[in-house]
Amino acid sequence: MAAAAIRTEGLTKYYGPVIGIEDLSLEVAPGQVYGFLGANGSGKTTTIRLLLDLLRPSRGRASVLGVDCHRDSLAARRLIGYLPGDLPIYPDLSAEGYLQYLSRLDGRPVSSAYLQRLLKRFDVSDLDRGRRLRDQSHGMKQKIGIIQALMAEPPLVILDEPTAGLDPIMVQAFRETVAELRRSGKTTVFLSSHVLSEVESMCDRIGLIRGGRVVATGTIEDLRRDAARRVTVTFSSSVPPPAIRIDGVTVRSHGDREWQLEIRGPVGPMVAALAGLPVHDLAIEPFRLEEYVARFYGERA
Amino acid sequence: MIALLRRSIAQARYVLIGSAVLLTGFQLVIVGQAAEIQRSQSFGRIAELLPGFLQRGLGSRAMLLATFKGTVAFGYFHPVVCLLVAVVAMYFTTEPAHEVEAGLVDLELARSLPRWRLLARSLTLSHLAAIGGIVLMALGTSLGGALFDTAGMDMPEFSLRGRLLVNLLGVASCFGAFALLVASLSKRWATAFTTGALTAVVTYLVDFLSIGWRPMRVLNWLSPFHYYPALSVIAGDAPVARNVAILFAAAAAFAAAAFWQFQRRDL
Repeated sequence: MAAAAIRTEGLTKYYGPVIGIEDLSLEVAPGQVYGFLGANGSGKTTTIRLLLDLLRPSRGRASVLGVDCHRDSLAARRLIGYLPGDLPIYPDLSAEGYLQYLSRLDGRPVSSAYLQRLLKRFDVSDLDRGRRLRDQSHGMKQKIGIIQALMAEPPLVILDEPTAGLDPIMVQAFRETVAELRRSGKTTVFLSSHVLSEVESMCDRIGLIRGGRVVATGTIEDLRRDAARRVTVTFSSSVPPPAIRIDGVTVRSHGDREWQLEIRGPVGPMVAALAGLPVHDLAIEPFRLEEYVARFYGERA
Repeated sequence: MIALLRRSIAQARYVLIGSAVLLTGFQLVIVGQAAEIQRSQSFGRIAELLPGFLQRGLGSRAMLLATFKGTVAFGYFHPVVCLLVAVVAMYFTTEPAHEVEAGLVDLELARSLPRWRLLARSLTLSHLAAIGGIVLMALGTSLGGALFDTAGMDMPEFSLRGRLLVNLLGVASCFGAFALLVASLSKRWATAFTTGALTAVVTYLVDFLSIGWRPMRVLNWLSPFHYYPALSVIAGDAPVARNVAILFAAAAAFAAAAFWQFQRRDL
């Protein structure tokens, strides 16, 4: 069996009395696109920086593709391409100089053809490549950041807020790139993002982190099944207060002609319980990742 | 490593050029001044102007400052020169703190680059800059000798210049390694650099004040400048090898502590 692309076991990081992450265990299978979600300060960047051995864990362990991130840090980092959330630059370097410098740092070979393809896809012209980074727009710097993370074709790409500052066309270019990586099956993409529609459309699985712990993980379908959905039942005539006693169904409010319910799991038992009542309409709100995630953010707040 | 070195040199090019001009120019000026005083036979008057506490603290060696040879050699232990060489050394060794502060370590160390290489790069550059600086100082003295027609004057011998400059290199190395240790503990470049620079100034003052103020002699062994007794070196009675060994041993200890600390810290 292939080693997990990312595996953390009880990974914990304390900053003095402050919890960075605590007992964080997650597993990302090779070839997946994994969305790592959480509010600001929830521990996403701490987790990523532990994987890169930039932070030392308080306890627990992490590995990438079977290589321990701390004990065999160099070998682990050789497998990773990383885009930091706040891309640091050398202002005096041109985009080309920046990419050359970074590729020389660890000596991983960069295929010229692949680099050209990335530059073309992200619309980085020869003129842009020659300009100093200090003179480039935020979006252009972000594109260069994405390219530097991908150019060595690492088996694991970790991207922290990759589309921040990109225009819609470049967001699309980024999505195409991720889709291409997924199709190749050779690269695992671990991305943290606040753009939930993007995560929903690109990721095979997501993990939701809150207060330094993973509070939900699974495919979008898993989350859909797990998520509470609001159901509005309207009646054609007055009905008595609901007396529904079904697992997974909660009455949120009720009136003479309308009930607001919350349901988890299949709707069949609820529909059966409504039989015999003068149901005029039944509206089930579709699953929306934004609401699902916002609920977790809200709980934290 | 070469890529790291080239990047750091490119970033620090103006500091390097500026300090090179200052150090070379200073020697030229001091040789020119000494030659002028020698020609006007004014060293006797300078001897009379030496502060009493210096004469009491340094004894007969103070008179060396009132000679052509001593004045030219003063270019190698003038406070501005000593502090400038130390500060340039510290400028390079505090670079890791800048890389942490600016987040550049996230790019560099996300690759398969060992942490120690960042410190090794900085330490190497710090020493190269200090060596380059003292070589330029020596060249400045020779150039000054040629420009200001000092033939027949008592220029410091090459061996004496060598001893003074190696001793100065030891001081720069010690401060550079000290600043490396501070940088390995810091998340802010300004914190590391200011701490190093202030330490250099304070330890210089401690050593200088101990010449005329006995209570300060309790502390002066802590100052790297204590191990650069330039007038004694000129007089030929300083244990140069021992002093240089102490300075480089301290530098090695600071550097070892810095590597250990940087390896275990969060970045």
